Amino acid sequence: MSTEGQTSVADRESKRSGPLVAITRWLENLGETAFAYLLLLPVFVLLGSVALYPLLRTLELSMFVNILGTGEPEFVGLQNYIDLFTGASNPRFPGSTTFLPLVETSSSFPFVHVEGWLRSALIVTLLFTFVSVFFETIIGFGQALILDQEFRGRSWVRTAIIIPWAIPIVIQGMIFYLMFHPSTGFLTEYLARWGIVAGTNTLNDPWSAVLIIIVADIWKTSAFMALLILAGLQSVDRSLYDVARVAGATRWQQFRMITLPLVLPAVGIAVLFRTIDAMRIYGLIDSVSSCTVVPSLSCMVVETFNTNRGLSSAVAFVTAAIIGILVTIVIYQQYKEGI
Amino acid sequence: MATETNPGADSDDKNLGPLQTWTRGVLTDQDKQDRLYRALFYVAAVFFLVTTLFPFYWLLVLALTPNSAILTGDWSLPVLGFEFPHPQGFNVYAFVEVFQQVPFHLYVFNSFVLATTTTIIVIMIASLAGYVFGRLEFPGRGGLMLAILMVSYFPPAAFLIPLFDAFLGNAVAIPFLGIEVFEPPRLVNTPGALLLPFSALMLPLSIFILTTFYAQIPDGLEDAARVEGTTRLGALVRVIMPLSAPGLATAAVLTFIAVYNEYFFSEIMALENVPQNWSPLVGGILSYQTQYTTDFNLMAAASVVGVLPMLIIVVFAQEKIVSGLTAGALKE
Repeated sequence: MSTEGQTSVADRESKRSGPLVAITRWLENLGETAFAYLLLLPVFVLLGSVALYPLLRTLELSMFVNILGTGEPEFVGLQNYIDLFTGASNPRFPGSTTFLPLVETSSSFPFVHVEGWLRSALIVTLLFTFVSVFFETIIGFGQALILDQEFRGRSWVRTAIIIPWAIPIVIQGMIFYLMFHPSTGFLTEYLARWGIVAGTNTLNDPWSAVLIIIVADIWKTSAFMALLILAGLQSVDRSLYDVARVAGATRWQQFRMITLPLVLPAVGIAVLFRTIDAMRIYGLIDSVSSCTVVPSLSCMVVETFNTNRGLSSAVAFVTAAIIGILVTIVIYQQYKEGI
Repeated sequence: MATETNPGADSDDKNLGPLQTWTRGVLTDQDKQDRLYRALFYVAAVFFLVTTLFPFYWLLVLALTPNSAILTGDWSLPVLGFEFPHPQGFNVYAFVEVFQQVPFHLYVFNSFVLATTTTIIVIMIASLAGYVFGRLEFPGRGGLMLAILMVSYFPPAAFLIPLFDAFLGNAVAIPFLGIEVFEPPRLVNTPGALLLPFSALMLPLSIFILTTFYAQIPDGLEDAARVEGTTRLGALVRVIMPLSAPGLATAAVLTFIAVYNEYFFSEIMALENVPQNWSPLVGGILSYQTQYTTDFNLMAAASVVGVLPMLIIVVFAQEKIVSGLTAGALKE
């Protein structure tokens, strides 16, 4: 570049002044790394204050006994966790501690060594997660196979399948509340006759409520699975099917030898996503039944955070840790594929 | 089914029953196979249509039936005899009453304001982040994306207690050191107590969607804009964002839906469930469930009203939802 050009650029720049120009020039002269971190500053501030700080602070709070209205918090180390896992803190939770009495201490069910409320919450959360994700995967796969076809009215079927996914949790809860409430529900009477749900006070009966909540979740979230699996289906190379047809493969063989193996990775990711999401269950329980009837892990946090902050924080951190393990698996998967 | 009556069989099949004949026909005849497949396909499609839409029909039935008829609860069809829910009466007045019993429109209004504001905040912050992750190379890029991904998975319950404390106006201290940093303003019962957690929760998905879209804009277009004299941010606002309009729409639609549908913070951060405290839709619906426990027709009517905006969005923004969900989850 000639010296003449440089002076003219400097000339032009010097004519513009004022704070805005100064900031702009400063921004433009920043190196790429500095510029990147500057633009990410809002993300850091928001996620730092609403996610990272609360997470660390929850861990700190879980090491104090802090029963509201009884003076200063007292440092107790891991005592809250010990109380939680041995059942010593049971009286601190509202409602009865005999939820799901069918699970005897002597049974071979996992978590038998965990006592009281935490056991109930673990059973509820894991039962809900596994059963609903299992059925959502199967139903979602079915829906995806249908949406993968070309037929008249396809977009309308797709709309119908997506709608449940897009409705507010509170309305989903209300729909199933109304569908199974003994005064309104037309289904309750039949189902009670077959012994599937309790005939009276259905929504306050733990097993009935869990069942209804699982059905409600399957109804709403299968569509999410369907969309993710559909994306996997549509990425399958269509010419593979032509080859298979020429080779004389039946539809079932095409499905088993081409579709299934190629779609399984997408299904796996979708299942992990849903599992993590399902472990956070709270709103549906709160709107269909009640957290004292069906205590999930998140429920336990909400039920106690206004009375016993230390214990509540301990539950919150246990929840975060369980989900954290699953998240690590997902992150590892993503990392392997390269982000 | 037509295939059952179609003999089409060899002499071998004479001593076989009709079902066996048909099965053999299906196994050997490609045409029959296709017809069976077609039939199964339609049965499944209709099944999914009915199961997904029936609950909405049920809401309408309850909303239109006068409450006294709901409580006596006879759902059997007059002529056919078997039980199938159908409206008993046509009480459109329930849709008026639903706004009179509690100020339901105010709750819905709150939800709209909160969802729109969150969407604007999220789109602005996520645009900057999407530009950085999608178009810049810098150390720590992969690690930061993983960290953001990680945050998006954690349960809201793990954030609740300290956030609630801070929103009550208690001092924020550095964890484990006990050094007080600042005393936040009291945010409960203001939009801030909802906007902050909403924005943080919805941010990661939008960042990933926008990263994908912004990364696809050819470098040449950005370079051309820069040669023309615009700054890096100018190129983002004037070139990259307009060219990524579908991506922006996708992120905006998904954020709006997610905030409108959110339950956890919506219920907890607005104390007492009154619209003056910025309680959104959740508060409106729950106040029917907890205060007017026998007004089942109004609960149903409120739900119908609350669902309508989402119904409209799904019908008109279906493509965006589908592409956004799959892009966010599979990051293709």
